[in-house]
Amino acid sequence: MPSNKELSAALDIEGSVPIHSVQLDAMVVLKIVKHCRESIPATVTGQLMGLDVNGVLEVTHSFPMPKNNQDSEDDASNYQVQMMRCLREVNVDDNSVGWYQSTNMGNFMNQSLIEHQFEFQQALSKSVLIIHDVARSSMGNINLRALRLTPAFMKLYKEKKFTTEALTKAKLTFSNIFEELPITIRNTALLTALLYELETADESIEVSTSHLTTYKSTASAPANKSVLAPSFDVLDLSLDPYVAKNLENLMDTIDDHHQEQGNYAYWQRSVERENKKKAAYLLNRKTENARRTASGQAPLANEDVDAMFKIPAEPSRLDHLLISGQIDNYCKQINEFAGPTLGKLFAVGELQK
Amino acid sequence: MDNSSTLHLALPAVHTAASATAPPSLAQPRAFSTSVNPLVFFSILDHYLRRNAGQDRVIGTLLGVRSEDGSEVEIKGCYPVPHLETEDQVEVDMEYHRTMFELHKQVNPKEVIVGWYATGAALNSYSALIHDFYQKEVSSFHAVHLTMDTALTNERLGVKTYISAPVGITSKADNCMFIPIPCDVKYFKAERAGLELLANAKSTESGSTTLLSDMDNLEQSVIEVQKMLERVSEYVDSVLAGTVPANNTVGRYLMDTVSVVPKVDAAEFEKMFNSHLQDLLMVIYLANMTRTQLAVAKRLEKLM
Repeated sequence: MPSNKELSAALDIEGSVPIHSVQLDAMVVLKIVKHCRESIPATVTGQLMGLDVNGVLEVTHSFPMPKNNQDSEDDASNYQVQMMRCLREVNVDDNSVGWYQSTNMGNFMNQSLIEHQFEFQQALSKSVLIIHDVARSSMGNINLRALRLTPAFMKLYKEKKFTTEALTKAKLTFSNIFEELPITIRNTALLTALLYELETADESIEVSTSHLTTYKSTASAPANKSVLAPSFDVLDLSLDPYVAKNLENLMDTIDDHHQEQGNYAYWQRSVERENKKKAAYLLNRKTENARRTASGQAPLANEDVDAMFKIPAEPSRLDHLLISGQIDNYCKQINEFAGPTLGKLFAVGELQK
Repeated sequence: MDNSSTLHLALPAVHTAASATAPPSLAQPRAFSTSVNPLVFFSILDHYLRRNAGQDRVIGTLLGVRSEDGSEVEIKGCYPVPHLETEDQVEVDMEYHRTMFELHKQVNPKEVIVGWYATGAALNSYSALIHDFYQKEVSSFHAVHLTMDTALTNERLGVKTYISAPVGITSKADNCMFIPIPCDVKYFKAERAGLELLANAKSTESGSTTLLSDMDNLEQSVIEVQKMLERVSEYVDSVLAGTVPANNTVGRYLMDTVSVVPKVDAAEFEKMFNSHLQDLLMVIYLANMTRTQLAVAKRLEKLM
């Protein structure tokens, strides 16, 4: 995991306007999609660069990070520093504002991601994590989410104490680990021109030198299909693969959850046991003392009971939080998927009549 | 031969392995063609926007993959390279170019240098020199030069791709002719959805758009299909009324399209429809139940 300490030293974090939305440059969207799509099924990460302006975090550039996990931390941060230096030479904003990660079917809530995001947010208060879901994006709609850790969660994570009472005091549940920010996408004027260009017949792109490129142009008269001719992937009716995968993931996560519950129950039982032993010992002591005073002997000194009966520490509830959040995420995904699918189903029904 | 002037062009050579796959009717070498990922266009425009004051055009390196016989080049990515163009000379920062390539290779080991790009439609002797430099980088294959006309001459962002061929008597670096080659736009399906989203933005004032939820996306697609159907039915109506001359190809094509809709027996379809619906509803029900369970647990925890 790259460390961002050298970067944070170069930035001055001025202004305390909290970020309320994220604005992505069109190019960044395409770059993220391309990078994530090239590397399925592995999850990949990359850095985002830009500037925050009046509460809107503008992301103007991004670059992918090499994905070898065996790299030492130095290598990765070396790459990052070199890359930023090179980009600075061509006038790209070299201000790091976050990172992105690809995910498959929404299974991104794990310890490493939280840790990484925490470090990032510690170093740069105006930073964001963008999650791109590759599997869902292949169904005709790009899926991008901008997330940050809530300040309550950050505080708790700093202390690393995830006991139940700490959680209740901070009113922290799995649904407010992350806060989601709305994303807008921005095109520059030239880009808009390009998009219009791509939409109309692409004669400007096809070069008409037929005498030099003989068979290519005559073999199949290029149907004057523009680049942006409508495609209807979103109208695909197959629901099985997506739902099945989602359910599988859901079941796995519920198994994990079950395990967590088991751990917690075990801990509770052991605490019970210890407490009982302690109570029994104290009782013993009291009767002993009573007997002694009754027989005129000096009572035994009260030993330090707590040191004798160590109560095991409560296991961290962080995993439980994450797993619950993950389950919630999967269920939400199924819901979100169901809406359009039901619509499609009924549309086909009507068509048949 | 009479005294008319002829021009001898050295077209890209082709390895003998490819001749088996080339169409047998042509003895000519297979044409050299390129396909470009739209991301490259976006990056070039972005680079152009960020150029230093006083710089007329910007250049950069193109990365991509080539097909086995070297005739199909797919341009997948690019990065800008600082360069300086004065009246008498041109300088390209080669160090930078090499460093960036190394960095990029770490992420994408399969991409290789396939050429270079420049904004502005002009091809001058500097282009030839720079092309020569890149040709050395690309070694055995032809380097591709892509120009993007950012000055919007003819009100188009013309994109042209070229390879160079030596011409003339001496073989100096700038004695070459740029031969245009065909260029296609290629992208992944997911990128296509992104492009559509971006295309939505072009009609708004500020050039920005928000992400669509799945439902909205579906709605848009359905509206598109409806519009297309309307257009087609209007056309058919007007042909029947005699206002528009009938076109046999179009008619036959329409007939084919309509007959693609599967004709399923009504009872069969009912069954399929219902079972599909039931599956989906059951899954939704289970998912919602799980969520409710979690929500209840959450409330209980808060009570503690």
